[in-house]
Amino acid sequence: MHILKSINVRQLVIVLLLALLVFLTLVPILFMVVSSLKSNAQIIGNFWGLPSPARWSNYGEALRTIWRYLVNTVVYAVAGSVCVMALSSLTGYIFAKKTFPGKDFLFLMMLAIMMIPGVLTLIPSYVLYKNIGLTDTPWVIIVSCAAGGQIFGTFLCRTFMSGLPSELFEAARIDGATEARVFLRIVVPLSLPILATLFIMQSVGVYNDYIWPLLTIQDSHMQVISVGLTIFTKQFGVTDKGTQFAAYAISSLPLLLIFSFGMKYYIQGMTQGALKL
Amino acid sequence: MRRTPWIGLALLLLLGLVPKYTSAEQMWSVEGAGDITSISAIEDGRVAIGSHGSKAVVFDQDGREQFGKEANNVVNAVDLLEDGLLLVASDDRHLYAYDGSGKTLWDIDMKRQVKSVSASDDGSVIAVTVQRNNDLLFINKENGEQSGSVPIGTSMKTAKVSGNGQWIVAATADQFLHLLDKDGKELRKFGAGGQIQSVALSDDGDTIVGTSDGKIELYDSDGKRLRSFGVRTTVSAVVFSRDGKNIGAADLAGNFYIFDRGGKELWETKDGQAGRAVEFSPDGKTLYAGTDDGRILKLDVSSVVAKAKSEARTRILLWALGVVVVAAVVLLILRSMKKRGKLGVFRDIWRAKWIYLALAPSFALIFAFLYFPAFSGLFHSLYKWQPGGKTTFIGLDNFKRMVHDPYVTKGLGNLVILIVTGLIKSIIPPLIVAELVYHLRSKKLQYGFRTAFTASMVIPGVAGLLIWQNFYDPNLGLFNNFLQLIGLGSWAHGWLGDPKTALWALIFIGFPFVGILQLLVFYAGLLSIPGELIESARMDGASLPRIIRSIHLPLLSGQFKFLIILGLIGIIQDFNGILIVTAGGPMDSTYVPALQMYYAATKFNDLGYASALGVSMFAVILVITVINLKLIKSAEE
Repeated sequence: MHILKSINVRQLVIVLLLALLVFLTLVPILFMVVSSLKSNAQIIGNFWGLPSPARWSNYGEALRTIWRYLVNTVVYAVAGSVCVMALSSLTGYIFAKKTFPGKDFLFLMMLAIMMIPGVLTLIPSYVLYKNIGLTDTPWVIIVSCAAGGQIFGTFLCRTFMSGLPSELFEAARIDGATEARVFLRIVVPLSLPILATLFIMQSVGVYNDYIWPLLTIQDSHMQVISVGLTIFTKQFGVTDKGTQFAAYAISSLPLLLIFSFGMKYYIQGMTQGALKL
Repeated sequence: MRRTPWIGLALLLLLGLVPKYTSAEQMWSVEGAGDITSISAIEDGRVAIGSHGSKAVVFDQDGREQFGKEANNVVNAVDLLEDGLLLVASDDRHLYAYDGSGKTLWDIDMKRQVKSVSASDDGSVIAVTVQRNNDLLFINKENGEQSGSVPIGTSMKTAKVSGNGQWIVAATADQFLHLLDKDGKELRKFGAGGQIQSVALSDDGDTIVGTSDGKIELYDSDGKRLRSFGVRTTVSAVVFSRDGKNIGAADLAGNFYIFDRGGKELWETKDGQAGRAVEFSPDGKTLYAGTDDGRILKLDVSSVVAKAKSEARTRILLWALGVVVVAAVVLLILRSMKKRGKLGVFRDIWRAKWIYLALAPSFALIFAFLYFPAFSGLFHSLYKWQPGGKTTFIGLDNFKRMVHDPYVTKGLGNLVILIVTGLIKSIIPPLIVAELVYHLRSKKLQYGFRTAFTASMVIPGVAGLLIWQNFYDPNLGLFNNFLQLIGLGSWAHGWLGDPKTALWALIFIGFPFVGILQLLVFYAGLLSIPGELIESARMDGASLPRIIRSIHLPLLSGQFKFLIILGLIGIIQDFNGILIVTAGGPMDSTYVPALQMYYAATKFNDLGYASALGVSMFAVILVITVINLKLIKSAEE
């Protein structure tokens, strides 16, 4: 009773309003899950009802057609993000803790890239990758992720690493640790939170990317999930709406994993990125 | 100072950075000829031409018309033999032979359109292709009788006999080349890299092929491809000089080229709307070039090539001079640094060598894959850009074209609508939700709702768009079913199929528009407002709306600015959703400039135009960014 009293009417209204908005926001997800278990006949005949009986075979069929895209994309995303982590941690550390001639100039060169929008470089990049023969290979995704992602990553790492105490590194150096050892044994372990954020942001980025793989990958065996979802109907002649929705649901699983285990880092990345840029 | 730009232009011309054209030395024209389809030149300076306007004409070495013959249809090919015998192949189904004075030697009805005739210089081998016949026919020079035939198996575009008669090549419509010896025995069959438009054969059995996608390919007598190089557009004619060292070519944009065997361009010129035929004189000193308006240009090869060579030498000299000047300047700077005792910087650089090495991978990627494409885009927006082929400077034509492109103008209108609605969508709903969450008392509920809104990230962007596309389906879609459910079935509609509603259906995607980033930014902004501020306002008796208006909104101005700029830049570039859901249709109702850019590059392979569109959008975004930076500065002051 005590608890009920403390929730006054205004709070109740807010909760109800928010609940409605959450429901509306998540309608596509709910609709996807429900429809993924229906057959075409069930969707037409019983649009609003729950699937009865539930057609779990939709998932099997969908998985058979898109598993390759799914595996490809996860591999590209992990490989690309690891490259970004490696490049950004090193470059970020140097810009945070080292002094050397031309440091300001080089940092400005990085900063200036932020002024170049993707729309300017999209087509010329495509031609470039094509000319050096990287199109239709995994490298076209991984290299472009590494090159583009490290800018944001370097900024994140630089900010984070300037906050690490320099005395710590000094002490290690006096103890005879080499520069590489200091970086690998002290800087990287201390920066794990920001590297995790970077990893998650980059992976989600690669996973959701559509235009770039569409432009650069023609080979169906190399294709990523985003493009795969738009073509698998044509490619495999899947006309079953239920199977299509099941494919969308399966494609959500990697993101669901990230959401479950790394949401903290994702939110951090979103807000930190916003504040730093 | 007026002269400076001209001097600059002259320098650029000399450095070869700006292309230029040389004009022809001499020219004849044939009245009513239309396209020049074929040219044949012999040792004594006589030249025969065949034209689309059914004419075959022989000129003497001074360019006077010696005799002209009229066929009853298009003259497809002429070949002038050393002894002055003229062979004429025409669509009137006849093959004609005239002697040096124009007297008809024979006239054979081939029953079908004669598509090509080619003979060795002495006429011992005459090869003819006719329409819808898969055999290559050999003709006896004396009486025009068919002396033999070789089955090729598919229909042929053309066939050529080398000057010494040792080699014969037949080009088929399915992109293959058949190389035969003088007896018609097939030696080799090899594929070309594209639709064959024209072939030529040297005395050594080397073949050159001009393809419809603007490539010239050189094959040796074993069918091995030695070289492939590009011209601006479809190659209409290729020819070998007698010694096989130079290659002449014409393309359908009116360009004529001379290349050496290595594919290095020695010279080029532009004349007329389209080039149709080329031929070297036997001594290789003159190039005859036929246009689509009945003109034949007589070009002195040795002088134009020599001129091009001397220009190249000047160019090298100038570059060398430039390098010397740069080196001198560097030396001077170093000397002055030494005087002022600043050379220590090099010691510092040397000491930091490991740092530079560690930065090298990052910056190598940055320069190669970020800066290079950006500059390449800026540069190529002024060109007709054909990677692998010939890239032509066309000034601001791409930009001019943009202004008159109905898809771009329509797209701009749509973009304005998308920007206005997009900014409203990205500001107001997230702000309201952030305020609502912020005003929850229970921390647990705050966390729960924040998480619930973030949960929408689990759907990949493309899957989300496809689900929304499904919502709009006329029969199986959520919207029409919902309308029926609440008794408004008559409003049901093919939302994406109707040009009037398609754009608004696109805008409505993502309802209720609670963007994760925007929500988190606003929420974090609200949390950072000091509690005392609000407490004291409340003690002064301020109501909630008043607190929001006078404290929250002003203190969130930074967040507003950030989200507006981010939104603007994002919306201008974004065409993901449109490409997936409507692909710009129905008709042009949902085009945006970025989509037109994508289509220009992918559907029409018009990369220069796509670059120009990209550059224009970049310019707009740059202006927005600069204004934003100025605003931030003024706000800080």
